[in-house]
Amino acid sequence: MAVVTADMVAELSATGASCRLDETATPRFSVGDHIVVRNINPPGHTRMPRYVRGKRGVVQRDHGVFIFPDTNAHAQGEKPQHVYSVRFTPSELWGGDASDRDSIYIDMWDDYMDLQG
Amino acid sequence: MAKHDHTHEHTAPPSDPALRVKALESLLLEKGVIDAEALDEIIDTYENKTGPRNGAAVVARAWVDPDYKKRLLEDGTGAIAEMGFSGIQGEDMLVVENTAEVHNMVVCTLCSCYPWPTLGLPPVWYKAAPYRSRAVSDPRGVLAEFGVEIADDTEVRVWDSNAELRYLVLPVRPEGTDGMSEDELAAMVTRDSMIGTGVIQAPK
Repeated sequence: MAVVTADMVAELSATGASCRLDETATPRFSVGDHIVVRNINPPGHTRMPRYVRGKRGVVQRDHGVFIFPDTNAHAQGEKPQHVYSVRFTPSELWGGDASDRDSIYIDMWDDYMDLQG
Repeated sequence: MAKHDHTHEHTAPPSDPALRVKALESLLLEKGVIDAEALDEIIDTYENKTGPRNGAAVVARAWVDPDYKKRLLEDGTGAIAEMGFSGIQGEDMLVVENTAEVHNMVVCTLCSCYPWPTLGLPPVWYKAAPYRSRAVSDPRGVLAEFGVEIADDTEVRVWDSNAELRYLVLPVRPEGTDGMSEDELAAMVTRDSMIGTGVIQAPK
């Protein structure tokens, strides 16, 4: 007997598997906080894009609590923590004469950031 | 390929990804993880049952129903589920509204994350390195290549779906569509307008 059979497909695809957790975790940041992204280069899985490492941004929204992929991908636990939408300016990310009228929004876990000192 | 002095056609071996998929499929079937009918059902689901028409129905509803639009922007996942669309790669949705002040566009710089229940599977260009790198570093240049010009005083806001959130752009309703029905409006909504690499033209 196959683990996945045809009659299961509709429900599986319509349900999915959210990485959002129903538990509470104390957020390290609030909307409006000025943050700096940690300059980390983990040898394993991460969802932090390389182009924001060490860059400064501002927290725009708290998405709630999610599984932390950097540990979960390596069977080191879910390490529940908040994910935030963080706004970066083009000049912060790319330097030069990039216009700051535009913006880049990136989703960041608690463990990816620190408050600007 | 070696030079031949005859003229018959050779069959080219399948590409590496095609071979890899065949190997994975064989293993999953032989080990009994999945059965062949389930595989057919999965392919049918993502070839025929989900796609950007779902997202277009969501957009049209938001354009004609202000209460629905409010719910959609506050709780994207819930409001989209009201229309019957949910599941894999749409578990946690955020809908971002285009206005005269802000033009939103979506990318996944890390891979190819995309809202399947509302848009189906992503187009090839969305998964390709040039779009993924340039959407964040030169969004206006990318938009120009899609034929989209955004006013200088409008903010171009790029969303990197690097985490678990999936993004759907609520495009601007074009002028001259006041008398149109929800179905007529849905027919105007393009896939690219919901990624943010297109805008919807006013009817002629």
